[in-house]
Amino acid sequence: MSGLILLPIFLPMIAGIGMLVSSASAKWKKAPDLSAEGLRKLHILAITVLAVSAVLALWTAWSGDVSFTLFYLMKDIPIFFHIDDVGRVFVTVISIIWVVICIYSFVYMKHEGEERRFFGFYLVVYGVLVALVFSGNLVTMYLFYEMMTLTSMPLVLHNGSREAIMAALKYLFYSMCGAYLGLFGIFFLYKYCSSLTFTPGGTLDMALVSGNQGIVLAAVFAMLIGFGVKAGMLPLHAWLPTAHPVAPSPASAALSGIIVKSGVLAVIRTVYYIVGPDFIRGTWVQTAWMVLTLLTVFMGSMLAFREPVFKKRLAYSTVSQVSYILFGLSALSPAAMTGALLHVVFHAFIKCTLFLTAGIFIFQCGKTRVEELNGIGKEMPKTLWCYTFASLALIGIPPTSGFISKWYLAQGALEANIGVFRWIGPVVLLISALLTAGYLLPVTMNGFFPAKGTEQTEWKKQEPPYLMLLPLVFLAAMAVLLGVFPNPLIRYFSQIASTVL
Amino acid sequence: MNLANLLNNYEEAVAMILFGIGFSNLLLQKNLIKKIIGLNIMDTAMYLFLALKGYVEGRKAPIVVDGVQSVKAYINPIPSGLVLTGIVVSVSVSALMLSLTIRLYRRYHTLDLDEITTQLKKEGL
Amino acid sequence: MAFVQNLPFISIILSLFSGPLSSILDGKKAKWLNLAVITAVGAMSAAVLVFVIGSGEPYVYMMGHFPAPWGNEIRVGTLEASMAVFFCLIMFLCMVGGSRERAIELEASKENLYYVMVDLLLCSLLALIYTNDLFTAYVFVEINTISACGLIMIRQNGRTIEAATRYMIMSLVGSGLFLLGICFLYDLTGHLLMSNIQEQVKLLHETGEYHIPLLVSVSLMSVGLAIKSALYPFHAWLPDAYGYSTLSSAAILSSLVSKGYIFLLVKIFYRVIGFDIVRDSKVINVLFVFGIVGMILGSVDAIRESNIRRMIAYSSVAQIGYIYMGLGLGTTAGVIASIYHIVSHAATKSLLFVAASGLTDASGDSTDFFDLTGAGFRNKLAGAAFTVGSLSMVGFPMFAGFISKILFAQAGVESDHKMFLTLVALAISTILNAVYFMKTVIRIYTPIHRTGLPKKNFEVVRAGQQPAKSFAMVCFIILNLVLGLSSEPIIRLFENGLKMFA
Repeated sequence: MSGLILLPIFLPMIAGIGMLVSSASAKWKKAPDLSAEGLRKLHILAITVLAVSAVLALWTAWSGDVSFTLFYLMKDIPIFFHIDDVGRVFVTVISIIWVVICIYSFVYMKHEGEERRFFGFYLVVYGVLVALVFSGNLVTMYLFYEMMTLTSMPLVLHNGSREAIMAALKYLFYSMCGAYLGLFGIFFLYKYCSSLTFTPGGTLDMALVSGNQGIVLAAVFAMLIGFGVKAGMLPLHAWLPTAHPVAPSPASAALSGIIVKSGVLAVIRTVYYIVGPDFIRGTWVQTAWMVLTLLTVFMGSMLAFREPVFKKRLAYSTVSQVSYILFGLSALSPAAMTGALLHVVFHAFIKCTLFLTAGIFIFQCGKTRVEELNGIGKEMPKTLWCYTFASLALIGIPPTSGFISKWYLAQGALEANIGVFRWIGPVVLLISALLTAGYLLPVTMNGFFPAKGTEQTEWKKQEPPYLMLLPLVFLAAMAVLLGVFPNPLIRYFSQIASTVL
Repeated sequence: MNLANLLNNYEEAVAMILFGIGFSNLLLQKNLIKKIIGLNIMDTAMYLFLALKGYVEGRKAPIVVDGVQSVKAYINPIPSGLVLTGIVVSVSVSALMLSLTIRLYRRYHTLDLDEITTQLKKEGL
Repeated sequence: MAFVQNLPFISIILSLFSGPLSSILDGKKAKWLNLAVITAVGAMSAAVLVFVIGSGEPYVYMMGHFPAPWGNEIRVGTLEASMAVFFCLIMFLCMVGGSRERAIELEASKENLYYVMVDLLLCSLLALIYTNDLFTAYVFVEINTISACGLIMIRQNGRTIEAATRYMIMSLVGSGLFLLGICFLYDLTGHLLMSNIQEQVKLLHETGEYHIPLLVSVSLMSVGLAIKSALYPFHAWLPDAYGYSTLSSAAILSSLVSKGYIFLLVKIFYRVIGFDIVRDSKVINVLFVFGIVGMILGSVDAIRESNIRRMIAYSSVAQIGYIYMGLGLGTTAGVIASIYHIVSHAATKSLLFVAASGLTDASGDSTDFFDLTGAGFRNKLAGAAFTVGSLSMVGFPMFAGFISKILFAQAGVESDHKMFLTLVALAISTILNAVYFMKTVIRIYTPIHRTGLPKKNFEVVRAGQQPAKSFAMVCFIILNLVLGLSSEPIIRLFENGLKMFA
């Protein structure tokens, strides 16, 4: 039965590879682009495979703790899958969003072309992500982490332009540097941990560590920086604002909403399941980590505030928001961790909504810069309303979801024993929330109430097709509703936090 | 290691000095022919050293002339065998080196390896 | 005695005699003879491997009828047999992959001579792997050198002859030192068979006599073999030799020839001197330091290189550095990592050479970095193969290189003094590797019309046009995946083999 865990991993991978092969062979034969009929079949295939795998993934995940050893890479390093609470949370978010974005891309990808290749890689990445979330030890996680980098890269360079290739190169290079820093840490932990299997509370062997704290701390710090690359943490965040905007919008939504969270997942696994929070509590690593996250929060918001290109602005916003999560994790207190996990979920929904809106603006009228969006609310009010709700949620205005997570983050910081950061943290979060309002809301304002001096007076309605609008509405609704009914989530997350802290 | 020790084993010392001469010639000479001569000196030094190891004062080569005598009458034949093998190896290597040198000389009309490298760069290969 | 036990000897003799036989055949027949011999030897080695694994212990094969202290012996354990199988496999694929280049680049009248060299090279590699006699090892080291030199210079241009000359000079320096080391050891112990020497060395070590001469002898042999296998400061001949010789030569030289010497060195450490004694000497530390320097500076050279073949060649310098670093750690885990790296590097580097030649085929035979722009689109299989090779070199999970990196790191953290240096060197060198390999991968996948470079009309090469090369590339990719994913049984094989050494 436990072998069932492999299905949601390999089914989308195989289907995706099949699509890639057919795409390659079509190019080989110089066949013309897909006909409308063929395209429809492709869409049906993609969504069926994805839905089936998502259902399977959720079903295996929620039917209890499952462990499965695939094979042994080395004598004591198995490729090992294990589903636990954190895994369940991540796999649920990923599956829902992946399906929704897939529906959205049916229409959107028409203007990017090369659908077979896109959906091929899209499915493969899903399989890899599920495997990453289900990984039961550090080496398995690392393996799929790297695979994810590699398979998601083609999504970035989809349109093959020079900027896209350079951005993909930058993405690959940063990710690899980060992953190797992580690997560097894994090598050390391999020596000082009793096992590399994820165990709540950590597996560090204190007898071995005593006397070598300095080295282990350095290794942990290297891993934090390394895995922080994917999460866009300072100092290696620069790939994110380059790579996310050049990708096709559905891909940037997936990258910003989900892929960056894999960095968060890796950090959670390292800190809470391998090293153990007690080991780094009160050390220079925790301090440095908090400083870096708070700097990132502030700097990301500032840069987003100044950024005129809409998708780039959203990318900088991701940099800042994901570091909220990392700050919550760095405080090492139960409430802060609950807040961080809540923000993982909420931010995924919100940021996807925002990027999909940006995609609609590009798809319908080719507008990419913020000042071009003047009066956009007159043309597509429904879209802009979705954007507005998501923005409010991201800023953290009650009763939307962002408010709940930020509340918990601030509360966690206040009750944690982290010295001066107890009040610096919440203050920075507050300033950043104001900046968030400052960079998101002008789009709404100018959209609905175009600034004076625009000569355009007639607005023609151009709402997007329903296949694009519905996913957007769904995501925006989730972003708001999760904030209205947050109790089950909060209960579940605080239970997770209490097992590891 | 005092001087008397060195004098007692002067044969070995000579072999080592020869080896050093050959070795440094092989490495440092610019002229290819001189390099090959260095190689041969080095090899010869090795044979001298090996032969010395097998030689026992006052004994004969292990060639049976008038019936097998006691083991004590002969020197150790294995090093001599090694020397023979070594000579074969060294001859073939020298021949290969010389043929390479001829090739290079025909192409570049010089025996100086650095000079050849400069010419190669000019050729832009 | 089971018949299988004769096979190592038969395979050496078979490859030795097929050499002279090739010289009277014409090129085509010699080629088929060569492939048949490699296949046969590979099959025989596989049979031997199965036999040794089955019996669980090594055996000694007496040559002629002179027993132990005088006669010549072959000794076979699992490590030797698996290396022989692996070397045959790689050599077969290299020969297949480079057949088209040989037809173009070699003079028709000399083609059969090439196969003479390859047969002799195979023979000497097998002898280096199997022999139990130190002087035999020396003789075959020289045969190896001579045939490798032949492989370099068979493609006639100024560069290769110059490279062959430099290669010969460096090799002769190395073998001179190696021979001197053997003579010292013979002088000290009075034996030439490895097992007998080891007994005597152990006695000497216990009594503490002749400590310094023993040390000198070990270091002479190590340095000699290190020079021959192009450890960092002795690598000057390597880029030209790999960069301008014909494809199969470059692949074989980089993946097998230098590895043969390293394997001999491992054998000397374990079977002749005894690893404990080697560990206590300082020689190991010297190898360690040179290995690390090579890892980093080799990669730096590779970054500066704009010729793809030479770049791969410089990367070999760095990889040889890895292997010596592993040996220099002075632990069994380090040696296992080195042996695994011998295997994984051989599989990857020959893949890279073959793939690079596939790319240059699609770029008007130019090896220049800029001409390769977009070559990955013009020859898809080669592009994919090059990407796989690069990722493996960089240490991407799933591929062979990742496993050897993990093994090195594991070995590194076990040793207290060298831990930090090892890991830092691994990290730096990995990043440097990533720089030049990823740079190249991106370059071959950059569409030419988007770079502003002058557009050249290069032909598109399809996998079906060069069946032999495509076959070799696919096999190499599979080999890489196998080494990267099912490493556990292979590592265990090596571990058992190393235990049999003692």
